[in-house]
Amino acid sequence: MRAVRAELSKLSTLPSVWLAALLAVVVPTGIALLNRGVAGPDRGYQELAFGVMGVIVLGVVAVSSEYLAESADSGGGRQLTTSLAAVPSRLRFLAAKALAVVLVAVPLAFTAAAATMGVVQARLDAGRLAGVVCYWTYTALLAFAITVLLRHGIVPLTVLLVNTSVVSVTFLLTKVTPLANYFPDMAGVRMFVGKVANDDVSISPLVGLLVMSAWVAGLLVLAGAVFARRDA
Amino acid sequence: MWSGRPAGWLGGVITIDGLVKRRGGKEILAGIGFEARPGRVTGFLGPNGAGKSSTLRILLGLDRAQAGTALVDGVPYPALPDPVRTVGAVLDGSGAHRSRTGRAHLRWVARSAGLPPARVEEVLTLVGLADAAGKRVGGYSLGMGRRLALATALLGDPSVLVLDEPLNGLDPEGIRFVRTFLRDRAQSGRTVLLSSHLMGELAETVDDVVVIDHGRIVAKGTLAEVTGAHRNLEDAFFALTSGSGR
Repeated sequence: MRAVRAELSKLSTLPSVWLAALLAVVVPTGIALLNRGVAGPDRGYQELAFGVMGVIVLGVVAVSSEYLAESADSGGGRQLTTSLAAVPSRLRFLAAKALAVVLVAVPLAFTAAAATMGVVQARLDAGRLAGVVCYWTYTALLAFAITVLLRHGIVPLTVLLVNTSVVSVTFLLTKVTPLANYFPDMAGVRMFVGKVANDDVSISPLVGLLVMSAWVAGLLVLAGAVFARRDA
Repeated sequence: MWSGRPAGWLGGVITIDGLVKRRGGKEILAGIGFEARPGRVTGFLGPNGAGKSSTLRILLGLDRAQAGTALVDGVPYPALPDPVRTVGAVLDGSGAHRSRTGRAHLRWVARSAGLPPARVEEVLTLVGLADAAGKRVGGYSLGMGRRLALATALLGDPSVLVLDEPLNGLDPEGIRFVRTFLRDRAQSGRTVLLSSHLMGELAETVDDVVVIDHGRIVAKGTLAEVTGAHRNLEDAFFALTSGSGR
């Protein structure tokens, strides 16, 4: 499909996507190196749960690059105008872009998982690996959908990155209400992490998959509906 | 729908009818209509804020109208089977991301339309941007950005060109280039629709004139018809839009 090839071409020529790819591999392996002494059944998987910054950047910039305005001196244009002139169907455009993000996120997740498990010298379990790849891809799509809704990269980038690294707001919320365990990130990591730090709710990998799938599907549908109606 | 047309007819009739656009309770277009025909340069003239850009954005499917239609050969832009080969558009700025090179920008557009990479080099040469093709768009001057936008519009060698303020910010050489280029385009049987608030710059370029003010068409016809008894197009324009307080 030509629209998907065009979107892949856009991603591969955007410097911030290469930064995202670098982050995707360096962050989880870096955390794994720092945590070398820590033992446990979730070795490596914990790191892969925290190390999703790369795909967050990927999902955000894939969309925010369309909305980035040129300086007023250069006419204040945006790439989105060119994109929709080339692919005028809003939904086809958005679907092609989402698919391109998935096509980049999946190999990144495999690479990061292989590198991280290599560092911790643990065997990769096929089921949990599938969970990692799914979690990373879904996280990229969540970032993607939120950025479509906001039309700007800074806020989703900051909020999502801070939530996975500095202060996990969704994790802190689980102290307030057990319902917070059903946020997409909290539920999604259950696909491959057995025990989330002192948790009191048990969510099976399958339920984790279903809950995160529902979030991603819901936000993508919302983003598509808003994007199709809104003036570009 | 193609029967009865002369051989070599490229198509490309733009028909705008009854367009209404409201934004935040403000009426931007109050049911405007006009036509732009093949083989002619149509100047869509009006003061800043008159509704020119809104009309062109609706024509290209970027903005939605509350009522009315904007069609190319009887079809709304988003429904065209091959939009890049039918209509080329030059709107604000370059329409390219600043961290990509000019060539990389043209390449992805070419990919989306199934055009060969060789076509990218052709349009780069055509607009005189071949030397700067490997530079990042962020380092382009305004004039270079406009040339890149024009190159993008020409990728599919479309039968229709739509340009929003194509002369804005161009140096005299750039203005001359765009004028000559658009005249040649019309000469070869294609449709050119351009908007501008600069009357003096355009009188020698346009065949037909549509004047918009406060979201309403105040005059349309050939250059001679719209100029009428006035000394020139500029005088006619100010007479027609004098009520606008500008």
